[in-house]
Amino acid sequence: MSPRLFLQVLSLEARNRLSYRAEFWLNALVGFGVEFAVVYFLWSSMFRESGKQEIGGFDLQGMVTYYLAVILLGKLVRTQRFEGGVSTDIYEGGLNRYLVFPAGYFPFKYAQHLGGLVPAVVQFLLFALVVAFFLDVPPELRPSPTSALMALAAIAVANLLYYLLDYAIQLVAFWADNVWSLDVAKWFVASLLGGFMVPLSVFPAWLVPWLEALPFRFFFDFPARVLLGQIEPAEWARGLVVALAWCGVLALVGRGVWRRGVEQYAGVGI
Amino acid sequence: MTRYLRLYASFLRFSFSRSLEFRLDFFFRVGMDALWYAVHLVFFGVLFQHTGALGGWNLDQVLVFAAALFFVDAIYMTVFSNNMWMLPILINRGDLDYYLVRPVSPLFFLSVRDFAANSFLNLVLAVSILAWALLRYPEPLPLLSVAAFGVLLLLGALLTYTMGMLFTIPIFWLHSKSGLREVGWSLGRLGARPHRIYTGWTRTLLLTLLPYAFVASYPVYVLFNGPSWQALAHTAAVVGGAFTLMVLFWRQGLRAYSSASS
Repeated sequence: MSPRLFLQVLSLEARNRLSYRAEFWLNALVGFGVEFAVVYFLWSSMFRESGKQEIGGFDLQGMVTYYLAVILLGKLVRTQRFEGGVSTDIYEGGLNRYLVFPAGYFPFKYAQHLGGLVPAVVQFLLFALVVAFFLDVPPELRPSPTSALMALAAIAVANLLYYLLDYAIQLVAFWADNVWSLDVAKWFVASLLGGFMVPLSVFPAWLVPWLEALPFRFFFDFPARVLLGQIEPAEWARGLVVALAWCGVLALVGRGVWRRGVEQYAGVGI
Repeated sequence: MTRYLRLYASFLRFSFSRSLEFRLDFFFRVGMDALWYAVHLVFFGVLFQHTGALGGWNLDQVLVFAAALFFVDAIYMTVFSNNMWMLPILINRGDLDYYLVRPVSPLFFLSVRDFAANSFLNLVLAVSILAWALLRYPEPLPLLSVAAFGVLLLLGALLTYTMGMLFTIPIFWLHSKSGLREVGWSLGRLGARPHRIYTGWTRTLLLTLLPYAFVASYPVYVLFNGPSWQALAHTAAVVGGAFTLMVLFWRQGLRAYSSASS
């Protein structure tokens, strides 16, 4: 797939996502506000009722900052409302046209996925500005230019990893009548084991090494800690290599599933 | 009334036979909900590694709250969710006409026509978890409190549906993909935590205008603090008020509906 075509697909998808602007911004504002409110009240209650000054290495202010980072980064890692794309193509027979396109299916879909990321980037920047101006981020957790650059790379890899996992799951549509449940199940697992629901350091100490051996931590916990300056450059580089290795594994899985699926794809949809 | 019950029995028969056509989806959906239950239980379990209480409740009480949440969600997923999912599509495509000419209430028809038989097993699972959470509770629970708790949970399921409809109905005017459904989902997350973790006007809001506290948290509060006429009347007023508002809103929506290509 030529870079020009890739960028054209990306641009088309970005414009498509912004077609319902009022709805888009309302969803974004309410979603962000509610997620922040739930986290703030939950952890305020936790610190108040436990009488502790520190949980999982964070005080209350630090914990709220961690969640803000995760909520904002999460917008860039899991681009929303596209997850039905691949399976819908299979169910509705729309895959046929892609099979005769002079471009691969995966790069085409990935370009669309990145196009869907454009509104998320706008949201991220605006909400990050609001956070920077109005909320009191502890000095030790304030992102530096270096940590921001390191986080950028971690987010890019997290986005690719999340997409590859999503792609492999969507391809199950070649055999299953509905993969929506698998999509949702993926989110449940990723949010718990990836550090979206609670930081991994809050889990019991004996469980943390097991969680760190799984790919899910690279979705939220790792990029957030990189942004907040809690990960040293050497650990960051090691983390990126491991995350990219997971990308390789998932790409191979996706490729294998695609080949088998296409072989028995009838082209008529369901 | 008998006619509606007969009609609902037909919906059930049809839904069960159709769900058997998609067996893999049946198992995926069961697995998904079971995973959702497990994730929540682990989440609260992890929190209680660091505290002895959350929103004034100990772990045993929070487990009952989580189980109540599963129960309400399972009812919603089984009875209403498929219908709510289809509603924006029917409105935007102008396919509502078919339902408007039927000799039954279109709101009833469109809200409960598709019974998610593949979620029914999850309802059984949710009931089992709720029974387990109540039975393992170390202190005796008065029968009257348990009965009030059961009734309030059913009202919680009705409220979940009502709030979902209130955020979906604007599609009659917005003509977007899903109306304000995502806004409703986001706000619904406020009800997935014990309402007493919230303070000040946020808690007041959750007990009045955005009554998500009544989905599961308030019924659990009544279970452990004993039912009072005041609590029951408060719940009935909020759920009844929200339902009436939804029906009026629905009628306004139907007036704005312009059939095909709307």
